[in-house]
Amino acid sequence: MKKIRVEFADTMLEIGPQDPDLVVMVGDISHGILQKFAKECPGRYYNVGICEPTIVNMAAGVAKAGLVPVVHTIAPFLIERAYEQIKLDFGYQILPINLVSVGGAFDYSQLGCSHHCYTDFSLMSHFARASVFCAGSPVEFNQLFKQTYRNGGINYYRIPEYAHRVEFRPEQIQAGKGICVREGHQITLATFGTSLNACLDAADILAGCGISAEVLYFHTIKPIDQELVEKSLTKTKRLFSVEETSASDGLLNRIWAASRHIPTVCYEQLAIEDFIHGYGSYEDLCEKVGLTATGVADRAKKFLKDRA
Amino acid sequence: MNELTPVLNKELRATIIQMIHRAGEGHIPSSFSILDAIHFLYTEILKYDPKKPKWEERDYFVLSKGHGCAALYVVLNKYGFLKGQDLIDYGKPGAILGGHPDVTCVPGAEASTGSLGHGFPTAMGLALGLRIKNRPNRVFALLGDGECHEGTVWESANVANNLELGNLCALVDWNGSAAQLMSKDDLPGKWKSFGWEVQVVNGHSDQELRAAFSRLTYAPRGTPKVIICQNVKGWGVKQVQGHGIWHHKIPNEQEMAAMLEELK
Repeated sequence: MKKIRVEFADTMLEIGPQDPDLVVMVGDISHGILQKFAKECPGRYYNVGICEPTIVNMAAGVAKAGLVPVVHTIAPFLIERAYEQIKLDFGYQILPINLVSVGGAFDYSQLGCSHHCYTDFSLMSHFARASVFCAGSPVEFNQLFKQTYRNGGINYYRIPEYAHRVEFRPEQIQAGKGICVREGHQITLATFGTSLNACLDAADILAGCGISAEVLYFHTIKPIDQELVEKSLTKTKRLFSVEETSASDGLLNRIWAASRHIPTVCYEQLAIEDFIHGYGSYEDLCEKVGLTATGVADRAKKFLKDRA
Repeated sequence: MNELTPVLNKELRATIIQMIHRAGEGHIPSSFSILDAIHFLYTEILKYDPKKPKWEERDYFVLSKGHGCAALYVVLNKYGFLKGQDLIDYGKPGAILGGHPDVTCVPGAEASTGSLGHGFPTAMGLALGLRIKNRPNRVFALLGDGECHEGTVWESANVANNLELGNLCALVDWNGSAAQLMSKDDLPGKWKSFGWEVQVVNGHSDQELRAAFSRLTYAPRGTPKVIICQNVKGWGVKQVQGHGIWHHKIPNEQEMAAMLEELK
């Protein structure tokens, strides 16, 4: 499967020639793969430099000129370092922006916590005008971006390093809508991004134990798909969110807000509690925080037992 | 700057004092420091239409030093962007004018500023955006010298130079605030080292400002320009002049009366 980051570049190339207002600004990443865009859309691609707050801030000026800016760099520098710029220059001033990150959560596992970013969904969710996406496969990025980049809001797209294995059709991807990937009736596993693989495998393990698990996939974290959440939790009454993000203000919070009116629903969460010290592969760090098929299945079984 | 420099814009200074006294909020000395430069810009340099603040042909002025906004407000009022009542309502609930400008409600304001180091990068991006759109508009930004402690100012100066934003002109309010904290304050040298075309003028002198602006040429691609204004914080009223307690102090009735008397 194509890398999602490559799809980002391809999507810019697809849109750019048709939309003269699209301007792409990067902080010295993805420079090579964006060269086709730079060539096709002269004067609308800027590898600005290593100065993320200024890149985000100047994008506000670009937006004020009537253009549609896309700012792309590594999540901790795009969202955490430049958060005041996002807050004041786009939130307070009511300007449009498209922020596209790589390196969310611990994708840059070998580089240590300086290059981790667990708080991107949390931070971006604070803005009423924000939409928060995690495009777990190329087709998701392509569809989500095309559907939303001109909505005038604050759009955040996290691009995981590793795509999940499910191949969705383009027409299945609708911003704001989740997808029921596997039906079940005893527990709902809710997830996004690469962790879909772990959840699907966990559902197999649970099935082997006689437990019927439903798997919901959310490429859109905000706004959450209220209808899908209600439908699933009315049935299972058990929600287990599996999240490659901070335990604060992630998927669980949004699902809880969408389902708190449903009686007797119980909630459990597997997410990142604090800095993940140490190095290793992406899979090594998944193991460390329990974001594996067995980790998910074990926590799900305990959850069901505790809330029987 | 010397004792012989006449105090300009006395009426506007008086209005600022009254506004800030009434509201119990505002920065008088900072506003006095930049008032004359802003007034000069709106009088002789900027292209605008107060009846159409979003007119596409306008020049853009971004007050990056947001806490000096009372100076901007009185000039916007003088040139028809605001109504007199807006100044009277300054700082009240429901008013459009407050302690820092809000672009969503102040006609003529181009950016919501207040957090230092934001307006200037916005102006720089605006200059780039206008160039991308093939528009001839010019962009001006006024920064404080203390604001020049912010990293984003120098990141933006660096980017503007590298992108050759010849449609961008900065003004720096060099009133000595910054040097109180970091005494190595060679602002002309710093801006020059970032590749900008630098002029240093008395920012309270229309004559010197006029001469400096007459030397500037603007083009979508060229050298960005900075006019460093040697200003006096609180210029025009001796009581508030300098770097003392008046930075964010509100005058009482007696103090206000004395200030207004001095401005007669």
